[in-house]
Amino acid sequence: MDELLLSKIRLGVIAELLNAEWVTFSDLQQATQTTHGNLGAHLAKLVESGYVAEEKVFVNRRPQTRYRLTKAGRSAFVQHVRDMQHLLGKESAS
Amino acid sequence: MESLTASQARDHIEMVDRILTRSERSLHVGGEFFLAWGLFSTAVTLTAQLVVDRRIPANSLWALPVLLAAAIVFSAVRGRQLGKCKDGLSLIQREFFAVLWISLGVAMFTDIVAYRIFTTWASSAIWTVAAAVVLFFIASHGNRRALACGIILLASLAAANFMPAFTGYALAAGMLFGYAGFGLISLIARD
Repeated sequence: MDELLLSKIRLGVIAELLNAEWVTFSDLQQATQTTHGNLGAHLAKLVESGYVAEEKVFVNRRPQTRYRLTKAGRSAFVQHVRDMQHLLGKESAS
Repeated sequence: MESLTASQARDHIEMVDRILTRSERSLHVGGEFFLAWGLFSTAVTLTAQLVVDRRIPANSLWALPVLLAAAIVFSAVRGRQLGKCKDGLSLIQREFFAVLWISLGVAMFTDIVAYRIFTTWASSAIWTVAAAVVLFFIASHGNRRALACGIILLASLAAANFMPAFTGYALAAGMLFGYAGFGLISLIARD
């Protein structure tokens, strides 16, 4: 399994980004119900690993940080979900 | 190396499933497009039927190109605005708009280049079919209003077929209640 996605918050962030083009930090914070610092730390790891792209833009003269899922992040997510399903399949078979 | 227990994996998969279900249900369709094109299609078909019935003069048909131009300009301007939306469009929204424009584009192309094949009411019926395709695509993402409105469109098509004297009225009613109606409901629901 992908060690980076073992964290429920990071997995949730990836799932939130899956169907969206760009999602703002505040929207992700609202969706994941985490603190600013906690989410920031998780997002930094995802950006560092290349799973998520970060962009800083100005909207109505205010800075805004937004995120998008990369191809690597999408592939890692798909593989991770497969691995989890495989684990559950093995458990139900035994 | 860290790993998950089966119980944790189940918990994580359930969370992912919840998030994906929520994001797919939040497909916001452009109600204004449906309203504009539904009203335009209704106007075209209704005008044609009224001219056939000699209730209005034939030169009333000249108003239709103006309405068509208005619908195209509105769609282009609104489409550009949506394209510049600060958060962009979700994948599912982009897919929806692709289906919308392809369906309308094919209907318009067919109407223009195959006017000898699709004469009179067949020309209007093509728009009904294209509109129904768009609505059933939206319905496939769990939108029951789109399903109901798609059924209204197909019912109007069937009614038009069996009521030769009222073909235009039946098709126009389908466009008004099925297509423009869906747009209106979507706008109300969004607000």
